[in-house]
Amino acid sequence: MSWDTVFMIMPYLTVVILLSIGLYAVLFKKNLIKIIMGIAIMQNGTNLFLVSLAYRDGYYAPIFTGAESTEMVMPTPHALTLTSIVIGLATTALLLSFTMMIKKHYNSINTEDMRRCKE
Amino acid sequence: MIDIVLENWSPIVFIVVLLLNVLVAYWLYSMGNPEYKKTKYSGDPFISGNRSPKDVKKLHVAGDNLFWGFKKALKRYYDPLIDGHTGRLNDYMIWVVITLAVVLIYLYLVV
Amino acid sequence: MTLDIIIENSPTFILAIPLLFAFLTAVLGWVSEKIGEILFGIGLALTVFFVGVMSFEVLTAESWFYVFGAESPSPENITSFFRITFIADGFAVLATITISITAVAAGIYSYSFMKDESGLNKFYTLFLLTLAGVNGMVLTGDLFNLFVWFEVTSVASCALIAFKNYRGRSVEAALKYMVLSTVGGLVVLFSIGLLYGQHGVLNYALLREGIAGSFTFLDKLALGLLAVVFAMKASSVPMHMWAPDAYGEAPGSVTPFIAVTSLGSLFVLFRLFFGVFSVGLDVAILGSLLIVLGALSMIVGVSMALVQSDLKRLIAYLSVSQVGYMMTAIGVGLATLRSGEGFGDLAMQGGLFHMLNDGVYKALLFLSAVAVIHTTDIRSLNDLGGLAHKMPYTTFFFLFGALSIAGIPPTSGFSSKLLIYKSVYLYSPILAIIALVVSIITFAIVAKAFFNAFLGPDQSLMKRRISKPMLWGMGILTVVLIVFTLFPNVVVAEIVDPAVEGLIGSLEGGLP
Repeated sequence: MSWDTVFMIMPYLTVVILLSIGLYAVLFKKNLIKIIMGIAIMQNGTNLFLVSLAYRDGYYAPIFTGAESTEMVMPTPHALTLTSIVIGLATTALLLSFTMMIKKHYNSINTEDMRRCKE
Repeated sequence: MIDIVLENWSPIVFIVVLLLNVLVAYWLYSMGNPEYKKTKYSGDPFISGNRSPKDVKKLHVAGDNLFWGFKKALKRYYDPLIDGHTGRLNDYMIWVVITLAVVLIYLYLVV
Repeated sequence: MTLDIIIENSPTFILAIPLLFAFLTAVLGWVSEKIGEILFGIGLALTVFFVGVMSFEVLTAESWFYVFGAESPSPENITSFFRITFIADGFAVLATITISITAVAAGIYSYSFMKDESGLNKFYTLFLLTLAGVNGMVLTGDLFNLFVWFEVTSVASCALIAFKNYRGRSVEAALKYMVLSTVGGLVVLFSIGLLYGQHGVLNYALLREGIAGSFTFLDKLALGLLAVVFAMKASSVPMHMWAPDAYGEAPGSVTPFIAVTSLGSLFVLFRLFFGVFSVGLDVAILGSLLIVLGALSMIVGVSMALVQSDLKRLIAYLSVSQVGYMMTAIGVGLATLRSGEGFGDLAMQGGLFHMLNDGVYKALLFLSAVAVIHTTDIRSLNDLGGLAHKMPYTTFFFLFGALSIAGIPPTSGFSSKLLIYKSVYLYSPILAIIALVVSIITFAIVAKAFFNAFLGPDQSLMKRRISKPMLWGMGILTVVLIVFTLFPNVVVAEIVDPAVEGLIGSLEGGLP
């Protein structure tokens, strides 16, 4: 395997690892903070996925610097990623503030204890 | 173009017939004898011939008592179903992942 | 001239106005809460006005693609494939009408119901943001826009659910829903990445052409991910467990509105299945996905509703089973798409009419149940009783909603269920039997709820009276439901048929 292939596969491999770690935390961790950390890791994995999709070897950033328009990468995935980062900040903040309130009301941040809504 | 297919069903006709039935029922009701003999217990609810209790709360059949036979007969169906609704956040996520897995395997095998 | 501009730009006004007024309410509501209240009213009224304008244009003239950022927003001016488009067709009209009716009723109801809470300008801001988000979700013709509106809806509606943050259970329900929605949003983004990497476009119409050209393994993966996430948001079994929590614990006046956001997700699911993915693979397989999820939802939803003693959770489980009806009906429509079978269209008529109905009668049921809880402070059916003596109007509203949800003739619920039974029977008799049995059990459940809460001797449970705006909120819904009840043929012909055509055909030609 040449180094080129390794560098091509590496980002996607990282995406898979990040998503798996995040999903594991969300599924099996009982601590709410850890669950939210898992979600944040999954967010980063998804963002990395979009950015690595957009990478084209030897192409230029889509800023008008004099390069031919055919040599520029499409900026759509980058726009997606930026939006996703902003949204991720909002959701993480909301989730953490919910956790604070859960701690206040239930005096615990364990998912085993927040089971008052059931059946 | 799509046809209109509710041709055999007209709510207005249904309501008119319903009102006619109500009129007939009222007519039958009005033929009854208005001067029946009032007793001490008339107007009380009929509870299998037992005396009706004084406390109004005891007169009313409350929520969980209704359909208890149905729930008891289907106990083997209901017990796992209710146990499945744990209210635990992790379980909610696990159900989503299980569904995802089943759907993806189905799509992979069938398409 | 100006009229043309207003009509042509109405899809963007439907989103711009609630966003603008959400901002204004948040900022100016700081000065005085009264101003926030008035601004909320104006924003809601203007949004509904533009929904009306768009609906009138689509239903009387023609549907159109609205292209952002072009010289004029008509599809001929699309010069680049990554322009954002909105689809203003019959299906979007049906969705926005359903959302608007519920939003108006919930908004009016909120005026008096939420009076005692503090920080109301934030409540109104969140309400308008949710309205913008869910309208955006059903109007958009672009996957990335879909993701943005999906997240806007999630964040705003979860904050709404947790608005009474002095109640631990509200926060718990909101947190659970939020975790599911956030992970769902990430999955949507991931599948958008997959589709974009394959076809290089985000627009539904162009994506459809790409998928028709080559349907690969990764497309399949994206299809499965999107389907499951939107089914989860639509509270389909076995991913329905957030729904009773969220509906049960949300502030009473916005409960139907939260429910309608999940209907919005269902609209998006149907749009994606019909508009984008139906060209890639055998429609019978796609349809069977919906049918299986729908049948499960019907059965499990109604079974769990039977054992509930909390009034709001009971209605929440019933709404899960109603979602099953729609998924089954539309699934049958999808499975027989392009096969020339007449009952496919019939099933879609039934399913979409049922969605319109369901948005209204579910809102009526929720609002009247909330009125009961508001006056008595009792949620459990074990302790309620005899309220009909003191609350005649609410009793009537609840009874009407209950008869509609159970599909008892002559209500409109019966009209739409009749269409569903007829068509689903032709597809598979077993499904029709399930639908009928579920309908009967639904009737038993609402009869139990009605008997427990309203009938029996007067127990003097009332602690406070319900105010006029709450009755008006329920009254609006009742009037709409009476219209649907009396003229089902007109509603099907005027609103539902264009929606069916929009769902089947609007993306067929693609963008010019």
